[in-house]
Amino acid sequence: MNAIIPTLAIFWFLMIASFILMKRGLSIFNDVAKGMVMFMLEKALGPAIDFVQGKPGSASRTWIMHGMIWTMIASILTFEGLWLSHDPTALHSLSAWGYTPNSQELIYAGRFAAVFGAAAMMIIGAGLHIIPALSGTNLASESNATLVSGLWTLSVLILVIGAHSKEILGIDLMVIGTALQVLALLAIIMNQLLTISNATRPIAVPGWLIIFGLIGNPLAVASVILSGAYDTGVGQWLVYHMIGGTFLFCGIAGTSLYASSMGSGNPLWSRTLVGFTLFGALIAINPLGSTDPTMAADMLGLEVSEISSSTQDHISGSFLMALAAIPIIAYSSNLLVTLRGKDAFVENADSPGIAEINTGALMLIPIAIGALFVQTDALGGVGELSGLSETLDLLGIWTVLIPLSLGTALYVLPQVSGRKVLSVNRSRAAYWLMSGGAIAGLTFTIMADLNDMALAEALAENPSSITEELRILGSVTFYGTVLGSIFHCTNVISGQFRGEKLSEEVETSTTLSPQTYELTSSTSVRRILASGATLDTEVNPVPQSEEAGTATEL
Amino acid sequence: MSDQSPSQITEFIQGEKEPESSSVVLVLGLVSALSFLVLYGILYPGREMPVVSELLPMFEGVFDSGIWFFLLGAMLGVFAIIGTMLTEATSE
Repeated sequence: MNAIIPTLAIFWFLMIASFILMKRGLSIFNDVAKGMVMFMLEKALGPAIDFVQGKPGSASRTWIMHGMIWTMIASILTFEGLWLSHDPTALHSLSAWGYTPNSQELIYAGRFAAVFGAAAMMIIGAGLHIIPALSGTNLASESNATLVSGLWTLSVLILVIGAHSKEILGIDLMVIGTALQVLALLAIIMNQLLTISNATRPIAVPGWLIIFGLIGNPLAVASVILSGAYDTGVGQWLVYHMIGGTFLFCGIAGTSLYASSMGSGNPLWSRTLVGFTLFGALIAINPLGSTDPTMAADMLGLEVSEISSSTQDHISGSFLMALAAIPIIAYSSNLLVTLRGKDAFVENADSPGIAEINTGALMLIPIAIGALFVQTDALGGVGELSGLSETLDLLGIWTVLIPLSLGTALYVLPQVSGRKVLSVNRSRAAYWLMSGGAIAGLTFTIMADLNDMALAEALAENPSSITEELRILGSVTFYGTVLGSIFHCTNVISGQFRGEKLSEEVETSTTLSPQTYELTSSTSVRRILASGATLDTEVNPVPQSEEAGTATEL
Repeated sequence: MSDQSPSQITEFIQGEKEPESSSVVLVLGLVSALSFLVLYGILYPGREMPVVSELLPMFEGVFDSGIWFFLLGAMLGVFAIIGTMLTEATSE
């Protein structure tokens, strides 16, 4: 049975239909639909809606703060999973409390926490600020968006527990977690659609990336159900990558392109490339992610099926994955050039988050190319590179997905809360710890995977000691990511209370940092800086005449 | 640097602020504790530490892997976040 093309055809049709509906509206039903959605978002919830504040920016702030906390939890779970891969009895003492996790369970739980807790919450949170900003209006319902952040967090918590034990008392935790998450996501989609329906100006393409990212998630699931491919291995693999390509890739592309431009102060480099990113992401199959579709199957309450693709599925799947290189390269290059602008300093101390976005954009292309080879190999049923899949997936999460979403969140949070992070220096230290720990730690782990694969191919009976040493080194190095995420959390939380106010900075900047400095004679850089000039101040040499002075003519 | 007048230099190196008393007491306490530990090792070589040697066996079989050193650090971090939330929200 061919699954890929029929499923994608339904998906493309649903996407086009959604776009037409969003642009043209529902004709005479517009006002009724808007009123009903607004009622469902606020009044229908009864007293629950009064528990949250509806101040502008509160929803975005809440989602981002939840995302930061999930980043820390995800890093701890992943660290434990990596450690237990070389020391399986390390947490044996916890069995006294009835908790006996293994490496696979912890990494699986870490993936849920990182993807749906950290990255997704920060993307949605940033989107709740960006879409109203691009539309020139306010978010339709701040209260509802704030309230459903709690529902989403609860769903992620259930999924993390379900990753350890899928069923408790005969109840499928994964399905319950997914159901709650769908409920929260539908509320966010309705909220954002209502917001763009009140737009006072045309929305820029990054805004459409965010919208298509949001609606792509339920439409991908609907497509695979309508095509009947949901119980096949290829169908489950496809829906996993369709959600990754729309909800995560489009979402992160839209939010980070906005943050890169606004955070660096440079105009977005190319609108055409943003269009390519959007079009390509919807047409192609994103190769990033694991070859194992267990996550998608578990969340949909399905039995995991083996991937056994037909020749047509193999050819079309491989071609569409190769095609995904176009939006990936377009997005990465657009992001990198926008950040640099006219030779701007990427590690701008005044804009925490820019360095994270830069790292994510740099790591995206090599990891996507690696993922393309691993996925093509898995779809063809060869499985020669399957040993790399899990670590490559982690590398994608911790060096692309998390840095890009975290960097965007670090830019957006001060905009919505009005306060900067407490310490720029701590933010920079956290960046180095997180990115260094993830890149080095997971590279060591991938080296151990390669070693294991080579030994398995050579039919070696005894495992190599180098493999274990590399896994130890990898897990210990990854601890930097745990420390970095903790530093980020404390820095951001303190910043919400004691951080420098954005408005204060604007008021004082006119007196403290002059736009120009007139240079009349040779002087030191120290003197210029001491006069209140900043790195952006323009130094103008003022010509002086060496001729002898005469009396002023009246 | 060279064009700074001597009066400016003397003002610059006056040192007008002092460390907090609590920090001084903490550092002195830490140094004293370490000094007494060294002294105990010299005076009673080979003997187990009082109190500490009785407490440590309680944790045998619990912290039996190196991961616990790292997890203790992570726990400290988690408590630091909770502490930050509480103190920042309640401070004036």
